[in-house]
Amino acid sequence: MEVVLDKKYPVAAGLESSWAVLSNMHELATCMPGAQITEDVDATHYKGSVRVKVGPAVAAFAGTIEILTLDPVTRTLKMLGKGADKSGSSASMALTAVLVPAENGHSTLEGHAEVIVNGKFAQFGGRMMTSVSDMILLQFAEVFSQKAQALQGPAPVAPAAAGAEDAAPVAAPAAPVVAKEFNALAFVWVMIKKFFADLFGRKA
Amino acid sequence: MNAPMSDREKALMGMGESRLRKEDARFIQGKGNYVDDIKLPEMLHMDIVRSPVAHARILRINKEEALKVPGVIAVLTAEDLKPLKLHWMPTLAGDVAAVLADGKVHFQMQEVAVVIATDRYAAADGVEAVEVEYEELPVVIDPFEALKPDAPVIREDLVGKTEGAHGKRYHHNHIFTWDAGDKEATDAAFASAPITVKQDMHYPRVHPCPLETCGCVASFDPIRGELTTYITSQAPHVVRTVVSMLSGIPESKVRIISPDIGGGFGNKVGIYPGYVCAIVASIVLGKPVKWIEDRIENLSSTAFARDYHMTGELAATADGKILALRTNVIADHGAFDACADPTKFPAGMFHIVSGSYDIPSAYCRVDGVYTNKAPGGVSYRCSFRVTEAVYLVERMVDVLAQKLGMDKAEIRSKNFIKREQFPYTSAFGFEYDSGDYQTAMDKVLNAVDYKGLRAEQAIKRADPDCPTLMGIGLVTFTEVVGAGPSKICDILGVGMFDSCEIRVHPTGSAIARMGTISQGQGHQTTYAQIIATELGISSEVIQVEEGDTHTAPYGLGTYGSRSTPVAGAAIAMAARKIHAKAKKIAAHLLEVSEADLEWEIDRFKLRGNDDKFKTMKDIAWAAYNQPPEGLEPGLEAVHYYDPPNFTFPFGAYLCVVDIDKGTGETKIRRFYALDDCGTRINPMIIEGQIHGGLTEGFAVAMGQLLSFDKQGNIQGNTLMDYFLPTAVETPKWETDYTVTPSPHHPLGAKGVAESPHVGSIPTFTSAMVDAFAHLGVTHFNMPHTSYRVWQQLKAVGLAS
Repeated sequence: MEVVLDKKYPVAAGLESSWAVLSNMHELATCMPGAQITEDVDATHYKGSVRVKVGPAVAAFAGTIEILTLDPVTRTLKMLGKGADKSGSSASMALTAVLVPAENGHSTLEGHAEVIVNGKFAQFGGRMMTSVSDMILLQFAEVFSQKAQALQGPAPVAPAAAGAEDAAPVAAPAAPVVAKEFNALAFVWVMIKKFFADLFGRKA
Repeated sequence: MNAPMSDREKALMGMGESRLRKEDARFIQGKGNYVDDIKLPEMLHMDIVRSPVAHARILRINKEEALKVPGVIAVLTAEDLKPLKLHWMPTLAGDVAAVLADGKVHFQMQEVAVVIATDRYAAADGVEAVEVEYEELPVVIDPFEALKPDAPVIREDLVGKTEGAHGKRYHHNHIFTWDAGDKEATDAAFASAPITVKQDMHYPRVHPCPLETCGCVASFDPIRGELTTYITSQAPHVVRTVVSMLSGIPESKVRIISPDIGGGFGNKVGIYPGYVCAIVASIVLGKPVKWIEDRIENLSSTAFARDYHMTGELAATADGKILALRTNVIADHGAFDACADPTKFPAGMFHIVSGSYDIPSAYCRVDGVYTNKAPGGVSYRCSFRVTEAVYLVERMVDVLAQKLGMDKAEIRSKNFIKREQFPYTSAFGFEYDSGDYQTAMDKVLNAVDYKGLRAEQAIKRADPDCPTLMGIGLVTFTEVVGAGPSKICDILGVGMFDSCEIRVHPTGSAIARMGTISQGQGHQTTYAQIIATELGISSEVIQVEEGDTHTAPYGLGTYGSRSTPVAGAAIAMAARKIHAKAKKIAAHLLEVSEADLEWEIDRFKLRGNDDKFKTMKDIAWAAYNQPPEGLEPGLEAVHYYDPPNFTFPFGAYLCVVDIDKGTGETKIRRFYALDDCGTRINPMIIEGQIHGGLTEGFAVAMGQLLSFDKQGNIQGNTLMDYFLPTAVETPKWETDYTVTPSPHHPLGAKGVAESPHVGSIPTFTSAMVDAFAHLGVTHFNMPHTSYRVWQQLKAVGLAS
């Protein structure tokens, strides 16, 4: 099962803070609910894991990440991620992500991803792959934006909220809360709601 | 004492009577006894670890965590089967198949390991806990890609083998080339013909999907050294022979029992890894082991059907007389060649492809190819590859008619094998036993007012505001069933005869034991009806037993519509042996010569004297207490029937469809099916068989498909996606018949269960394409789902 995704997400922070998140594998990984880096093999190779909770069962994917390009000038990240669960169901993603400037000193995260999924998820989830990917990426982008914003400090539009203008990364305000595992059931519920919303939306 | 003849006839409930099925009492009350109903003391349960990927090397299998799961007793992999030489097994097609993946997986859902546990849940938990590490390899799903020079090697175990079970292999993913007919004469006819047509078509991969999935309970008795296996098999005797050969247990100590079977349709002919592993586990553990597939496993791993990429060609005169037929097939067999065909016919009876038509020259060629898909290629409610053949020729005749601007009925009339030409030898060498195609087709055309339908269609085509497209499909098919004469047909070297043993008891009731096995066909009823008519014993008191190899005579089983043509003949022949002996006893009792006796319904009487007679009941009693001198006591017989030829049932089907131009949604307005299966044994059961076959045909044509993505992930292996029509979707069927008996069959019967499947599928396509014919469309592939039809509508500019 192969899905190609081209997405753009607004990031409520400037290029520099955004790049700081994008270029740090540990930060980047934790934008994904349930994902984490478990080992730095070398400067461009990492090991990581993703936990997906479906009801009482937890599926754990373990895999590798290889950084192909990390270019601070064009603010481009190219990486290759591969993983499998214990029974051998596998997924891989070739990702190109670029940060470009947007209005108000914000930035835009542009991503092109080629995702291949094999095994159980590909058998049953074929028809849902695109919408599932959409929703995962949306969550990812939200967390990413929050993290970048936190690095930059409080947004200029709400200066009173959290103190110092010169907030250093270490002194970031309230870190975004990211789930330790991706809850698939809760997710399905969101999808069902979306399905019906689309259905009535189309008819209207 | 002397009831009127009509009453006596009625009391027999013999051939020709629509008597109720003897099986129904248990089936409609939920009292059937299927394999999963079998529960033996200390029985263990098995579940299977399957590959999530289509093509990969196995780097590591770790059983440790699985063995820690409470209730798990053992985990077996190919390494454990190696010492027994059971990690690979022979297939019916002369290939080998992995029982458990040996270092490499070849298709998604392939069996990798089995877990045996004290209950089904523990077995499933154990499966979840087995860790397998794969190194993925490039996947080939398309058979044309598989034949490219640099295509990945699917079968590493065959590297360097240029000779397969059916001759030369020209490529590492090539299995066999099989051809029939006269190539030179056919090519010459094409070279000089005024008109030729050519059409590519794909008969997609589908699955028989019986309601009951496959499974078994294997029980080895270590004290007696005996193995009993309850199994979902359409051929229990063949299973016994194979199990004995693989295990080394003498065949006399192997007992295979097929109890009630919930539908087979070809899916239950093969021998699957699950059976082998359950048997091995039972032998190793000394306890009964049950394995039952779930629906996903059934659709993904046990035998699929079809997957033929076909090219058809016809050469004809300008006025529509067919001169030659040529066809080329790329057959996708999946990762192992496990087709269930008679040994010498790797493409089954595909050479029935000249159909109901008198075609002077013909040639066909089939190339089998390996791909990273599940093995199979069984006859899904049809004789071996006959569905594919009939589909091809019927489509081609339509294509030719379209090219010539001829009517579908007219071109068929012009090319039919005429009634007076039978027995007719086809260009491929089949000797058709009997047929009357013109009469059958005319009856259908009159019944539906064909001219009226065409007139209505013309009006609708002329009206741009008409919201629907109307299509009329017509098919006049001939099947070849009843495999088969053992001089050409065998399975693993055993001739394809069948058998019957009848015992008439002292009080005049009887039991018949058979080498076949019913999966819902109603054998217990129809077989009893044959004996009732042959011997004058009421079918009500005739028991029919099948499926237990310890009691039944050896037979090749039930598939390919062979039960009536082969086993039905064996019954008649065994009954006639008893009849002959009964006559001797009657003559003795009446103190007359045999020549003075005549048979009348249920008795021998003195010719012309209604008062001097002995009923079969009287004779049965006498057979056990006062047989004539020199005649041994008892009244029983066995017959093994080796058919002299196949039988050739035929039919004429017509279908009318209305397609919504906006959505592609299709309504089957009318489906009229006329079948000729020769002598009819139980018209009600025939009607039921035809309804079932038409419904499965509807399923294949309109919705069923096993598809795969590029990575070899099977798409739609659940009943959410795989189309199994219910009463909601199924159209109304109208049925009709003619009777043209088979001259070589003792009863004149030809077999019927599969004709409606074989015949209806091309009829649906014929109707669907006909709806677009005025727009220049000659063919599009099944399944004709609304989405695909909508795409077709878009392609011709009708839908946006």
